Amino acid sequence: MEMLLMGIFISIFGMAIAAAAFGAAVRREEPAPQLQAQPQPAAAAAATIPTRFFVQDGKIPAPNVSVPIEALLLQLERHVRLETAAATSFLAAPNSALLHSKTTSPFVN
Amino acid sequence: MSPVQYDLFQGLPNDCVERMLALGSRRTLHSGEQLIELGAPAEELYLVAHGQINLTLPMQVRGQKADVLVEERTGGQTVGWSALTPPYQFTLQASAPVETEVIALPRPALENYFAGHPEIGHRVSLNLASVIGQRLQLFQAMWLREVARMIEMRAA
Repeated sequence: MEMLLMGIFISIFGMAIAAAAFGAAVRREEPAPQLQAQPQPAAAAAATIPTRFFVQDGKIPAPNVSVPIEALLLQLERHVRLETAAATSFLAAPNSALLHSKTTSPFVN
Repeated sequence: MSPVQYDLFQGLPNDCVERMLALGSRRTLHSGEQLIELGAPAEELYLVAHGQINLTLPMQVRGQKADVLVEERTGGQTVGWSALTPPYQFTLQASAPVETEVIALPRPALENYFAGHPEIGHRVSLNLASVIGQRLQLFQAMWLREVARMIEMRAA
């Protein structure tokens, strides 16, 4: 009698484990709660900054507002003169090296 | 002191040059004085006798309007060739950074002279084409340099 009860108990226990396993296998996966990833302002800014050599990603060099506008305009004039000189050299002897020659202008260095 | 060689009158005999210069009037500009206003009707062509003319365009720099240098013209060079090309409207501003003398040549006087001397008109037209062509080539090269830098920056 004891043997019979033990057999029934083991059978029920086995059935319960099989049912649990089957249920786990066929259960639909609940979608994970969507994280509405709002881009952080800093992260958004970093995404738009082109990476360059020797410049760490996402770090924008702060504009040098301490330079007076008169000095900035003088730099701009110097840049135009240097670019004009470079273009004039190219026109005197047209070749690719002269066309893309570097100048010392701070606007392009 | 050798007479100024004007790029617009290259290849012409001196007497012709003198006659054309006599069509205009000499004008002295003090340092900082404006010669050409952007968008104004172009009724006169200018030859720089001595000094310097800065050609500028307005630009926003830090929220302020500033006249930014585009080109510099010195003795013998032509300023304001818009006076000889339709629609006869100035597309740049011009001012003298130092005391400067220019010869202002009115378009009607030049056109009348060219009508009576077509061979002179032809020569001046060729010289004008050279002046315009030089600026085109210069700015073409400057533009290409700028585009190359832009591409290099974006690819980095």
